[in-house]
Formats: sequence, structure tokens, C-alpha cells
Amino acid sequence: MKPDEKLDLTGTGCPQNSAMALLRLESMEHGSILEISIDDGEPIKNVTAVIEEDGHRIICAKKLNNKCVIFVKRL
Amino acid sequence: MAIYLDNAATTRLDPEAEKAMLSFQESHFANGSSSYRLGLEVAKHIEKARIVIAKKINADPEEIFFTSGGTESNNFAIKGIAFRNNSSKRNHIVTSKIEHPSIIEPVKWLKKQGFIATYLSVDKEGFVNPSDVKKAINKKTMLVSIMHANNEIGTIEPIEELGAMCREKGVYFHTDACQSFTKTELDVKKYSLDLATLNAHKLHGPKGVGVLYIRKGTKIESLLHGGKQENGFRSGTYNAEAIVGFGKAVEIAAIEDIRNMAILRDYFIQKIKTEIKKVILNGPVNKRLCSNISLTFKSMEAKEIFLKLNEKNIFVSTGSACSAHKLTPSSVLLALGLSSKMANRTIRISLSKNTTKEELDFTVQSLVDIIFNKN
Repeated sequence: MKPDEKLDLTGTGCPQNSAMALLRLESMEHGSILEISIDDGEPIKNVTAVIEEDGHRIICAKKLNNKCVIFVKRL
Repeated sequence: MAIYLDNAATTRLDPEAEKAMLSFQESHFANGSSSYRLGLEVAKHIEKARIVIAKKINADPEEIFFTSGGTESNNFAIKGIAFRNNSSKRNHIVTSKIEHPSIIEPVKWLKKQGFIATYLSVDKEGFVNPSDVKKAINKKTMLVSIMHANNEIGTIEPIEELGAMCREKGVYFHTDACQSFTKTELDVKKYSLDLATLNAHKLHGPKGVGVLYIRKGTKIESLLHGGKQENGFRSGTYNAEAIVGFGKAVEIAAIEDIRNMAILRDYFIQKIKTEIKKVILNGPVNKRLCSNISLTFKSMEAKEIFLKLNEKNIFVSTGSACSAHKLTPSSVLLALGLSSKMANRTIRISLSKNTTKEELDFTVQSLVDIIFNKN
């Protein structure tokens, strides 16, 4: 999957990571794809919950060691 | 009519920044570190401001760390680098004799803890000579800190050259850009900066908020431990309202304001030199901050001029604001080679985007009246 934009939130705490994800999505075209790299555990749980609550769709999630990559469709 | 000409000390809060802060405050009271929706809304405003500030200096948002102001940012840079990188092999810091006290004092304090410091001299216009910096750097040097623009005489230092030199030698380079931020270009990549201090209240933002830019990968120790805000580098509840005001002040800062201030600065300098012959401009003509005018009046003590201008509702500074209450001459002016007598005959006039030609005309006339004892 080829994302339109990428955002690296690894090492970024909560809720700063959620805020940054939402701001980036707000700045993107409807229907475009954002790839987010994020730490496993609380960060991915919180960020995915906030993204979905904001009305966007998580279309893919991959896990590699302690890092996760999610693909989000901006709705 | 009050004529405020001490904008290097602080500036009036811009109405747009004030409006943004008030509007934010009305609906956002939650802690910006809380993960529930109310906290997240606050965090979004903080991140928006971070993005605006990062963009202005060509940094990445995650390289922007909010602090309580310039003094904290300078202490963070100096002590944070010193603590994190200290070893018997690396314990040397290079700075200049004309830095703000929030650089001079931490370095002095570190000297008491066993660090080695070099305070570089400047030339008669206040410029640090890059070859002096090159000579001062040795195998033990961990940090060079040279201000971007001087707060008293407006000299814009050659930080692009210094940054490149430090990067080549593997030494961290910090600049205190409190006076220059939004008044001249500041590009952290172009200038090879590892650390840069910024604040809000010198650019019509609120007091009590600043930034330390820290380049990714820089090894620095946190000074404030606690709730791990700012990715653990600067704990403490966010001053969100002030951060919002800071972001707005940076967003509305315009290149046009720089041009206008420079025109007014040059107009004032020319007019005062024509009207009062026995006056000297301190600092350079070129590579000078658009807002700064430092004048030595050969025939009268600055304190006397200051008081008489004060009576006329014209507010200027003698020396830097931080040393206005002291009777000792400004160390910056002494570093230029001025005698104590001449240093004590120096006033600083600093403009803002709100300064008008009419205000400057009235100030020149008032100075003429004071110097020639007309009233």
C-alpha cells in the first residue's frame, strides 16, 4: 500500500501523539492515506481509538518488534 | 501620549494573539497532558503552535520543546549539554563576553562545578570573530554558545559560519535567538544549529513561554523532572494559553514589519546625528537588528536622559533591561571598548512594529531639548 503521507510518532507520548495524528489528518485531502509509525502498547491503543472516534478509518495495521505501522484513510 | 521604545525588554501583546488566547481560554481548561477528549483538544492547540514555530525556523515539530521563557531555555541548553556530555575528556564551553546574563551566569556556575569556560572578546561593533572561535575550540570543547543578535547593541553575529565550523568539528552549537526571532532569518538547518533559544514576549506574544529547539540526536539532559511532558525532556503542566498566543504571534509576524522597522531605525539614527552632533551609534550600521538603536551622548549621563524622557512619557532603557537597576556600566558596552564614563552615557531605543515616525520625531525633539537644556 502506498501512503500519500507518512508520520512518525515513535517515542512521542500521549496525548501528543493523538493530537499530532488528528492535525495531520485534518490537513490532508479526503480519501487520502496516512501511514503512521507508532509504539506498541498504550500509544497505538490510544491513537487508533482517537482516530476512529474522529471518523477516520484504520485500513491496515502491522506490528514489527515493539513498533507498529498503521494506515489510515482520511474521511 | 506614552511612547514605548523599550521593545527589546518586552513588547505589547498583539491583539490577535490576545484574541486567540482569550478564545482558547473560554473553552479549553483541561490539562493538555490528559488523554480524554477535553485534554486532547488542548493538546491539538499546543501541537498547532508547535508546527507553526517549527516551520518558521525550518525545524521539525518534534524538535521544538516548550519552556517558561528565554532564561529557562538558555539554562536548559547550557546545563543540559554540560550534564549529559561531561567527562574528563570533554568539559569545555565557549561563549562570548556579550551574551545575555542567562548564558553568562549558568556558564559561570558550571565553572564552579569544575567545567572550563572561554569567554570570547568581540570587536568594537560587537562581532565575534569566527577565527577566535576556531582557535578556542579544542578536543575538550563540548559546546559553543553565541547569541544570534545582541540585546543591547543589535549586532547580528555570523552564526551561519560559526554553526558550520562547530558542525565540522563535532561540537554542539547553541544560539540565543530571543532578540532576533522573527526580526531576521533563522533557519536551523542552513545555520547548522543544534540548539536555539526562542521566546514569545519579544515578538508581541505573551510572557512566560519560550522554546528550546533541540536538533534530533542531540545528547541533552533534562533539568525539570516530573510528569514527563515534552517527551520527558521538560516536565511541567503545559502553559497552553501562552503557547497558543506564542503560535499566533509567530504566525502573524511579517517580513513587512522588519522592513518598516529598519526604515524607521535608519531615519531616527540619521535625524538624531543631524540634530545632536555629539552622539555615537554603538554597534554596526549593517548586520544590525531592525529594531535596535544604541546611542552614547557625550555630554550627559544616561540616567539623567532616562529620567527626563520618563517625565515626557517616553520610555527607553539605559543598558539592557536586566541591568537597568544596577549602577555598574553595561558589560556589553565595556566589551566594545567604551570607557565606563561613556557606557554610563548610553541609552537603548528599541522599536516594534507599532512604532510610528511621529513617535520618533517627538523623541528626537525631546532628546534635543534635554541635551541642549531647553527644558
